[in-house]
Amino acid sequence: MRLIARFAQELQNGIEIVDVYDKETQKSLLSFDNLKIGTLTKKYPSAIWMERKISDEFGVEFIDSFDTRPLLKHEHFPSDIYPLRKNFNATEINFSEYKPYDYEAIGGDGVFQVAVGPIHAGIIEPGHFQFSQAGEEILHLEIRHFYKYRAIEKMCEGKEPMAIKKIVERISGNESVAYQVAFVDILAQASGIELPTSIKQKYATLLEVERIIHHLTDIGFIANDVGFAPALALGGKLSEEARRVFAKITGHRFGFGAIKEELTIDFGSLIEFLNYLEKELEFFRDWIYDIPSVWDRFDTTGKLSVRKAIKYGVVGVGARASGVKVDARDNDFYKNFGYQMQLGKKGEVSDRFKLRFNEIFNSIEMIKNFETYDNEGFEFGEFKDGEYSAFTESSIGELFMYLKIKNGLVDRFFVRDPSFINWQAFHTTIYKDIIADFPLINKSFDLSYAGSDL
Amino acid sequence: MYRYWKKRFKTTLEQDEELEAIKKELKKLVKKKFGGSLAIRMVDSGSCNACEAECNALSNPYYNLEELGIHFVASPRHADVMFLSGVMTFNMYHHAIDCYNQIPSPKWVIAIGDCVKDLGVFEKTYAIKGNSIEVTHYIPNCPPSPKDIIAGFLEFAREV
Repeated sequence: MRLIARFAQELQNGIEIVDVYDKETQKSLLSFDNLKIGTLTKKYPSAIWMERKISDEFGVEFIDSFDTRPLLKHEHFPSDIYPLRKNFNATEINFSEYKPYDYEAIGGDGVFQVAVGPIHAGIIEPGHFQFSQAGEEILHLEIRHFYKYRAIEKMCEGKEPMAIKKIVERISGNESVAYQVAFVDILAQASGIELPTSIKQKYATLLEVERIIHHLTDIGFIANDVGFAPALALGGKLSEEARRVFAKITGHRFGFGAIKEELTIDFGSLIEFLNYLEKELEFFRDWIYDIPSVWDRFDTTGKLSVRKAIKYGVVGVGARASGVKVDARDNDFYKNFGYQMQLGKKGEVSDRFKLRFNEIFNSIEMIKNFETYDNEGFEFGEFKDGEYSAFTESSIGELFMYLKIKNGLVDRFFVRDPSFINWQAFHTTIYKDIIADFPLINKSFDLSYAGSDL
Repeated sequence: MYRYWKKRFKTTLEQDEELEAIKKELKKLVKKKFGGSLAIRMVDSGSCNACEAECNALSNPYYNLEELGIHFVASPRHADVMFLSGVMTFNMYHHAIDCYNQIPSPKWVIAIGDCVKDLGVFEKTYAIKGNSIEVTHYIPNCPPSPKDIIAGFLEFAREV
């Protein structure tokens, strides 16, 4: 079984730990006077962030856990508060005294530490990377995130479900459509309606366009990270054009607010653009596949082995490039419209780079099949109390969303962004690579910080 | 190989006259007020990454900000202007202020996006501090498009 998420929620008589696997969901209730439960990390190493997060939020202790350092609570964060408990209502807390964080570091003769971040050299999001180096070779990397922790989960609590849509849209800008689709899926379950097929096709179309834009941007940036700047110019140009088309059909460059109850998509101009894009991309591919100095850096770099990918439960582009068949789109609906899973072989930067090309071509093919001019809409009924969950394949990977409605209001909102899992497997890919390869490997996964931090 | 591919490169850009006019004036102002070169340090204090994506887009061939003498630099110590985006989280607060303090004077702060001013669609939680760095110029929208950013930059350059 693959572990998808482990999270907690407060009930009347205790704290409930919910373990979501791909085949089943298990729940265990802990009473308030004994907040202890066994760890899952022995079998699922990527449960460690989930458990540290629960400890920070609810004060639950995980027995036999190999790492009990705080995750969300940074140096100045008060350690005696458990903010996701229902009795915590403060919207302002004060900085507490500085408590140093004990980084994982390898010692020894000539081994030294390189600390990178939270503010990075490029235009990217904040996060900290602590390297243990032997010369140029990386011995170990500890990733420390949650600088962008905005407490989205708490922000959503106590509001009407429709009122949090705007927040959900903006959790992670690059995956906005995926978040919206998952959210609408949950709301549809809660009001007991089935989405019309034509609407599903339109949602899937927007999801694929978002994927195309994200992949195009990455293709440019990955090549730029090995010093091949012309690819950035061409990739940047194509992604800008795609984004403009996206803005034309959704009214927003990132598709904020695009997933609505009624939706018309101008398939004509979209497909015209995709035909043009397909030709440009074929040229792009032939061109860049022909540059040996680029592939010299891509090959054998940042290898995520199949074993590690499965062990950590890696999802999305990262998993598929290693040959692991994980994709939330792997179902009959998508297959009817021409979905084919693209897989890499070795899990190196080159595999992830090629995979992005292949996925764009497949997305283009699917969008052409999604073309529909049915103007069916739907309306949400009343949202019934209960627990609902949804999966979507965002441009990074499988997104899991959970919503509990109680008395018509949001009681618990939880998201497991694909990046949250993939970040944890990241350190296994760079062992014995040189530190200069780090930006390249990072970009080849292109994970989200905002989605992971929440 | 270079010649082989150069022959086959047939790519064209749509011209946007309004944008060109803005860029022309901005280039003049950068030359007049900043000696032809202006360095920006971008700091994300808790955004959704859309503002960063739009700032990255500024260097694509459609906007090509670098030709105006404006460029993004890797260190605050090389910068004149700080681009600030995001809601300023509790965990980023000290780091963002540290970064601001590292920028040599004279320095200016330009806020990108609605989050900096009033948190945008987000609401105050315990994990959000809100911005306390003095902002010279606000560029609104969620997120501002690259054209909005360039136009906003022109307004800033006129005011300074």
